[in-house]
Amino acid sequence: MSFGERISRILLSTPVLRIGSILSTLFGISIFVFLVLRVIPGDSIVGAFGIETGLLTPEQIAQLKVYYGIDKSLPMQYISWMQSFLSGNMGYSYSTGISIASLTAKALPVTIELALIGTILGVVMGIAIGTFSARKPGSIRDFAGQLFGLMALAVPGFVLSTTIVTITANKFHYFPNGYEFVRLWEDPWMNLQQMMFPGLVLGIAVAAPVMRTTRSALLETVDKDFVRTAIGKGVNARKVQSRHVLRNSLIPIVTMTGIQFGYLLGGAVIVENIFSLPGMGRQVLYAITKREYATVQSSVMVFAILFITINVITDLIYRKIDPRIKK
Amino acid sequence: MKRDPLKPKGGFYYYMQSTSGIVGAILLLFMVIVSLCAVFGWLPHDPLEQNVEFAMQGPSSNFWFGTDEFGRDIFSRSLDGMRRSLTVSVSAVSIAATIGVTLGILSGYLGRWFDQLIVRLSDVIFAFPAILLALAIVSTLGNSWYQTSLAIAVVYTPIFIRVARGPVLTVKEMDYVKVTRILGFSSLRILRKHILPNVTAPIVVQVALSLSWAILTESGLSFLGLGTQPPNASLGLMVSEAQSIAAFAWWALFFPSAFITIVVVGLNLVGDGLRDALDPARRSS
Amino acid sequence: MKLSKKFAIFSISTALVAGVAFVAPAQAASKDLAIGVTLDIDKLDPHTSTSFSTVRALGLVYGSLVEVGPKLDIRSGLAASWGFNADSTELRLKLRKNVKFHDGSAFDAEDVKASLNRILDVNTKAAARANIATITSITGSGLSVLIKLSVPNAPILAALDGVNMSMLSSDDIAANKIGKTVNGTGPFKYVSWEPGQSVKLEKNVTYWKAPVKLDTVTFRIIPTEASILAALNAGTIQFSVLTSPTVALQVGKNLNLYRTPGLGYVTLQLNARVAPLNKLDVRLAIQCAINRAEVVKTAAAGEAKVVGPITSPAYASDPDDRPCPNVDLAKTKKYLADAGYADGLTIKAIVSPTQYATASGTAQNLKAQLAKAGINLELDILDNATYVSRWLAGDFAAAVANNGGRIDPDTMYTRYFPSTGNLNKVAGYSSATMDALFLKGKATGRAAERKLIYKSISQELENNAVWIWLFAPYEYRAAAKNVTGFIPLATGSLIELRVVDLK
Repeated sequence: MSFGERISRILLSTPVLRIGSILSTLFGISIFVFLVLRVIPGDSIVGAFGIETGLLTPEQIAQLKVYYGIDKSLPMQYISWMQSFLSGNMGYSYSTGISIASLTAKALPVTIELALIGTILGVVMGIAIGTFSARKPGSIRDFAGQLFGLMALAVPGFVLSTTIVTITANKFHYFPNGYEFVRLWEDPWMNLQQMMFPGLVLGIAVAAPVMRTTRSALLETVDKDFVRTAIGKGVNARKVQSRHVLRNSLIPIVTMTGIQFGYLLGGAVIVENIFSLPGMGRQVLYAITKREYATVQSSVMVFAILFITINVITDLIYRKIDPRIKK
Repeated sequence: MKRDPLKPKGGFYYYMQSTSGIVGAILLLFMVIVSLCAVFGWLPHDPLEQNVEFAMQGPSSNFWFGTDEFGRDIFSRSLDGMRRSLTVSVSAVSIAATIGVTLGILSGYLGRWFDQLIVRLSDVIFAFPAILLALAIVSTLGNSWYQTSLAIAVVYTPIFIRVARGPVLTVKEMDYVKVTRILGFSSLRILRKHILPNVTAPIVVQVALSLSWAILTESGLSFLGLGTQPPNASLGLMVSEAQSIAAFAWWALFFPSAFITIVVVGLNLVGDGLRDALDPARRSS
Repeated sequence: MKLSKKFAIFSISTALVAGVAFVAPAQAASKDLAIGVTLDIDKLDPHTSTSFSTVRALGLVYGSLVEVGPKLDIRSGLAASWGFNADSTELRLKLRKNVKFHDGSAFDAEDVKASLNRILDVNTKAAARANIATITSITGSGLSVLIKLSVPNAPILAALDGVNMSMLSSDDIAANKIGKTVNGTGPFKYVSWEPGQSVKLEKNVTYWKAPVKLDTVTFRIIPTEASILAALNAGTIQFSVLTSPTVALQVGKNLNLYRTPGLGYVTLQLNARVAPLNKLDVRLAIQCAINRAEVVKTAAAGEAKVVGPITSPAYASDPDDRPCPNVDLAKTKKYLADAGYADGLTIKAIVSPTQYATASGTAQNLKAQLAKAGINLELDILDNATYVSRWLAGDFAAAVANNGGRIDPDTMYTRYFPSTGNLNKVAGYSSATMDALFLKGKATGRAAERKLIYKSISQELENNAVWIWLFAPYEYRAAAKNVTGFIPLATGSLIELRVVDLK
């Protein structure tokens, strides 16, 4: 094999290609978020000073531009941000002076915890009800299950949240989210109480599509030849259900779960606001409002890295479930 | 006229066999009629007209669904809102589904670098906070309904790419498909005969889901000022605005929410009916 | 272990514990007040704080030379007494005795000099600099301070109040610690700030004004007001600040609601430098087309006061003292016809719904009302920072704005209407008459004279329909029943928590 052939073999090999494409995705995201932020009117100075910006002298504004790093040309700004980010420095939140890395280190676990709880609750509820429904298509059970799925979709998250808050807090004087947020390791019991309602709201939102996907996938698989063969051969119907049917239905369910989890990781802002959870959703929304470029950019990058990791894991799960998929 | 028993039954026939499909179709018809009323202005009151002397009143003979804090007729606004929500939702999902499914199928089928490229591009969009995207689009392009649709479409495209690509990957590796490729059958034929049928069901489910999500996404965007602009009505905007007065005027929250429910239920049932109709191997309810 | 041994250990340890519990004196429960607020503070430097949530919290930690009392009168704060010279060009202050900073150092003239100089320093970007820009020198020692002014400026006394005029330790200023460490003279000491979650304060035992009864005060950030009300009802917080009238109206009998007319006001700002608003007739047409009571009813659920330009209580404008105190569509028609717009016209207004609770409602109701008069108010709905950047650039024809008020009319409008004001571009109007009136207002310290001058300013603003002043929303504080002694201030200050007790 010639040297050239060797090189191209290595470069085109799957792991290298994989890593290469992941890096290019992250690169793409960084450029995208950088540009989008600059396109929106209003800059960090207006975001920080509000109407008091009108009282600043031109010299002060020039100084502030240097402080906020928006004095240089766009490409220079991008390069200097990328340089510090890659060397581990995510920058500082302008208002508090705290490093974005530590702000993110505090907010991210909250969002991850909430996303996990919501997804797990949703997947469990969704698969359970979907399976329940699919056992006897067309029956009352099926109708009830489908009704749940539709209702769960139709009620907006914030309506459900405020209803829960109104009833439990005003009528039963129970509102764990009215206390300061505690971390899982500080006080697990209180933390779970604070995660319970928001997790439930998100879980219901996740359960709906999972339930419908499950039901749809199960019904489809049940009709497949290999299932009929197994039943024809006399294999226990239950066993057929769990072993063959569910396994083969898993791909669309896994796809849906991956999508939902990724979506929740992006920060369920509305739920975080109503239940005072200091997660990434609030951090990013606040930073966008205040045009804190560094915070938004770095937070989006962190989320992107997380997200791609989940995709890779999902792909691995695909391969495990369905050995027919190679590559 | 008697049906010729030898003639193959069409999709429409199967659709009509599905109870969900029929109920869904009825609801869809209702939604279309309601929206047309709004389009032609056949409403008891002007959706924007403020009759402050009648503000915050419950359902009455003059105002069938009651009035809001400005004395606007909630019934007329709900109909107008239905029209607007559906417009935004349908256009957003059409764009997202068309682009997403095409890219997803091609990506799964062609594989290798093209697949990686598309998957990574869709990841870029998916990893992006939707609010930021919507804010960018609305600030630069303006804030009428098509910009809102565009923002939602961009955010939903990756989902369709994902959902379409999955089954394609599975089917592509199946022996009988591999055989057809070896035998030299044209890709287009393989796509049409073998891949498309397997992709259709999850796509149809996803379209129905996305149409319902779009209504709620539009609601969230409206709440932040990025969706439908007040004083125009969309179901989502009405629901988010009604939150603050819900304790005093339950009808302001209830009726738009009920309409959202009808839209969501109707669209999903139609989706079920279509799925049953298109997949002759299975007819569920 | 043998049973008897186990029993022995058990009974001995129980006895010990019981004994300790019996012997240890009963400890008084700690008086902790948790306050629910929707917004976090954004910095720790009092001189540059402009966001209301920051000012509100820092107001408990820092003190200023004078204070505003419940009747919005000027009272002694860190300055025990004061006096102007005959022509209001010199202000002599006598500082309060035995005031200590939280770190134990004494408060004296050095601190006053350093603090005022810091505010005057352009590099500090202090929010209140323009209000005291007429200061030429600050001298003094011990407890005496002499402030010299470049021109007569009696209102400067009122300008010495507030968080933006906090007295800081000269040592801290010299060591550049402001904004990093928090060292003030206020009733509460700073403990910690968990961004996005809470600000914790504790009692200052050496506070100069009476003993502080609360042991700790915590500002807890709860982003939505509905959740704040829920937290109050569930008892997880004992105090809160609310801005949404509909939430305030849901406060039940189990809580105390303090409703005070605020100093801030909602207005439809008009840019008189942009056509068609450059025609006085057009602006008057708008003024005559609006029923303010209706705006209050729809946008603020009736929870606001119709006001004129000046909301400072001692100088408050009479809302009826304007060309059109009530709707008069006939007059509107005539004004429009005179201006050449008999067929109506379109005006674009910028609005930011996320800024405050009544923004969107005000815009929508104004639009509907003006539509009846043939004026199309096109709403341009923007996110907050976009709105602010356009507002600052004067890049609008009309703007639905919620501006802050002050207890002194000069500090309230000196930035806007004099042609030299920093925000005159935003105000969209200036005239020689206005400039002259403002100068007169600064020159005299006598209350009766000042009242007449500011009445003229108010009339000048209304007769020229410079802006359309609408209403001043009420401000709300809601508290649990066991919170006693609280006095709300129209400035929004929570300083009276220094006398509050928890039963």
